[in-house]
Amino acid sequence: MSGAADQAFEARVLDYLAGKMPDGRDFALANVQRIAVGWSHETWLFDLTWREGGESRSRGLCLRRDPGDTLLRHLSSLETQFRVLRCLDDTALPTPKAFWFESDPAILDKPFLVMEKVPGSCPSPWGREGRAFYQAAADRGVLPASFTASLATLHTLDWRTAGLDFLGEPAPGTGFARREIAKWRELIDLSGHAPEPILTDLIAWLEENAPATERVTLVHGAYRAGNLLIHEDRVSAVLDWELQVLGDPMYDVAYVLSDLNREGTELLSNLVDRDAFYRDYEAATGFAIDDKVCRYYNALYAMRSVAFWMSASGLHAEGRSQDLRLARTAWSVPVVLERAAKELGY
Amino acid sequence: MTPDQLLERIAAVLRKEIGPAVAAEYPRTQAFMASVVLQKLARQLASAEAHRAAGAADMDALVADLDATLASAATPPGIVAAVAALARGRDDAALCALIEALYRDRAALGAPRFDALLGRVRRTMRAGIDRRLEYAA
Repeated sequence: MSGAADQAFEARVLDYLAGKMPDGRDFALANVQRIAVGWSHETWLFDLTWREGGESRSRGLCLRRDPGDTLLRHLSSLETQFRVLRCLDDTALPTPKAFWFESDPAILDKPFLVMEKVPGSCPSPWGREGRAFYQAAADRGVLPASFTASLATLHTLDWRTAGLDFLGEPAPGTGFARREIAKWRELIDLSGHAPEPILTDLIAWLEENAPATERVTLVHGAYRAGNLLIHEDRVSAVLDWELQVLGDPMYDVAYVLSDLNREGTELLSNLVDRDAFYRDYEAATGFAIDDKVCRYYNALYAMRSVAFWMSASGLHAEGRSQDLRLARTAWSVPVVLERAAKELGY
Repeated sequence: MTPDQLLERIAAVLRKEIGPAVAAEYPRTQAFMASVVLQKLARQLASAEAHRAAGAADMDALVADLDATLASAATPPGIVAAVAALARGRDDAALCALIEALYRDRAALGAPRFDALLGRVRRTMRAGIDRRLEYAA
């Protein structure tokens, strides 16, 4: 956005928020920061100040808007994200409090949600600074324990009591894995990508070897450093609620164990010692980590990665996005296909 | 100058001169991404003819090996048809159809023949993905 467009947008945000808080007056936005552009949901952080009952007030807020061309396409829904956050509000899991969701395009052109700006930072684990941050945290030992404890809390919360059953309980047995395969196959089909024999092999193998789910929990779908807000050496909020499902907790565990999520280190997710993760997670949840099932889900993640990159490059090819970061992902497809071949043993 | 060399040079200008001169974050990222895309396109273009020839040779060898394997024992008709279609089409769509047929008729094939046939197909796929990684990685 240009400067003028930014100002006009901020004025519309202010009008909306003022309408939501009829007892306030003299509303203003400060410290406005746009932190994502065009890849997934657009995100703005800001502080809202106003006067109410003769007092000055302030609240940090985060606004996420759906640009309509995120790489997850119809599988990403801000409304679902809003409902999940509302359900999690009364649980022990640290998450941002969600205030409002709007689907009316008259307000800000596209669907959006407004939630609490939780204190903390979210260093990317892929850069040099981020890796140094997580290595230092690993040396102190507090954040790794918090990382594992938060995942255990996520997997042991009572999702029925929290009202999360709207996410859809998978069919018993192999229903969870098969539902995930079908979901990512749908995204692949939508991408219009040319046939890929390795992918066909991978999908057939996944369908043949789908594991039965022992227990159903809330599953985050992308639990790793970089998707967690960190404050005072602890997880202050679990973020990125785009891929959550009800399903096998080993799906998240496999993601933590995956080589995908560490770079130049043996530490899981660039942060956690492997033995400590096994010990602390199993003690906190009472679930034994099933390495064979985790290896299966690692192969499923390879399929999911292929789906992501085919979808992203497809959005550019279709002309729905001009973002060249999406165009570049066309060359990520063979990279993840090669990883899939390795997962299958060739 | 060949087309791939031209693309490489444009990519270098975007990366070294244009990108660093752009102040705003989003357009600067786009300039660098344009450089990356052009560089990968250049490498893909430079290797296209050699890769096409290698792919065709691999496909010829695969079809010949599959024909020989199928001739040695009774084979489910779905797989025979898929191999015949591969021999005609010699493309990825036909290879995908053969892989699906192998998994579908796995029980009828028996484990040793399934492993042998799929293993042979996988050898061709491995060679193909290795070639693509030369420009994609």
